[in-house]
Amino acid sequence: MHTWLVGICDRLQNIRLVVWLVTAQYAYPFIQWTHFTGLSLWLGTTLALDFRLLGAGKRFQTAAQLSDALFSWNWLGLGIAVLGGFTLFATAAVGYIDNPAFRLKLGVLLPLALTWHIFVQQKSRTWGRTPETPAVAKLAGLMEIVLWVSVAAAAVWIPNY
Amino acid sequence: MRLCEWLEQIPWIVTITNSAVLISLVWLVHYLGFFLLVGTTVVVDLRILGAAARNQKLAPLAGLLFPFAWTGLGLVIASGFIMFAGQATTFYPTAVFRIKMGMVLLALVFGVIVQRKSPVWDGAPTVPTAAKWLAFASLALWIGAILAGLEVAAFIPGI
Repeated sequence: MHTWLVGICDRLQNIRLVVWLVTAQYAYPFIQWTHFTGLSLWLGTTLALDFRLLGAGKRFQTAAQLSDALFSWNWLGLGIAVLGGFTLFATAAVGYIDNPAFRLKLGVLLPLALTWHIFVQQKSRTWGRTPETPAVAKLAGLMEIVLWVSVAAAAVWIPNY
Repeated sequence: MRLCEWLEQIPWIVTITNSAVLISLVWLVHYLGFFLLVGTTVVVDLRILGAAARNQKLAPLAGLLFPFAWTGLGLVIASGFIMFAGQATTFYPTAVFRIKMGMVLLALVFGVIVQRKSPVWDGAPTVPTAAKWLAFASLALWIGAILAGLEVAAFIPGI
C-alpha cells in the first residue's frame, strides 16, 4: 500500500509542470497564494457563521440569513483552497505523505472539520430562524471553530518535521 | 533602523522567535486573523458588486461582518508585530514588505469607508458606481496583499 502510494506521489512530483513550478523563480508563492486566498474565503465565511451561531451580531441578521448569504462563496473558497492545496502537495508529494503533521491534518482533522461544517451549515437553517440561537447551536459553532483551528495548527506545524 | 535593532533585542520577542512552538502559534494567529479579516471584507465587497447575497440588504450584512473583520485585524496586528519585531532589520528595508503594508493600509481605509457608507448606499435605489469601484479596489488590494505577504516570506530566508 505504502510503496504504491509513494509511487503515485513520485510521479505526481515529477510532472513537468510541477517541476517547473518548483524551480521557476517567484512561481511557488503564487501556488501558496491560491491556497491562502481560497482559505480566506472559506474560513472567513465559515468562522463568521460560527461566531453568529455563538450569538455575535444578533441585532443585524439571523444565522439562517447569514448562512444563506455566505453559502456559494463559502464553497467556492473551499474549491480554490483545494486547488491550491493539491498543487502545493504535488510539489513535494513524497515528503508530505510521510509528514506526521500533514497526515494528521489530511487524514483526521480535515475530514472531521469538513463533515462537521456540512452538518452545522445544514442545521443553521433551523437553529438560525430567530435572532437568539439555541444552546446546541452555540456548542456546534464553538466546536467548529476548535476543529478548524486544529486543522490550521497541524498545517502550520508541517514545516517543523 | 535603530528602532528595528532595539525591537529585535526585546527579551520576550527573542524568546518567541527562537521557540518553534511559540513562533508557530504566532503564525497560526496571523493566518486565522487574516482569513477572518479578508474573508468577511471580501464578502461585503462582493455584495456591493452584486456578486454575493443579492437577495439581501447590504447594511445588515456589512453590520454583522465588519466586527468580525476588525476582530481578525486585531489578531493580525498583534501577531504581525511579533513576526516583524523578531526580524525587524530584515523586514524593514525589504521593498515587497513595504508594498504589502501600503496595500493593507489602503485596503483598511477602504474598509472603514465601506462600513460607514453602507447604510447610505443601502437607502439608494441602486448602489452608486463609486461604491462599486471602491469595493473592487478593496477586493484587489486584499488579494494583492496576500500575494505580497507570501512573497515577503519567500524573500526573507529563515521564515
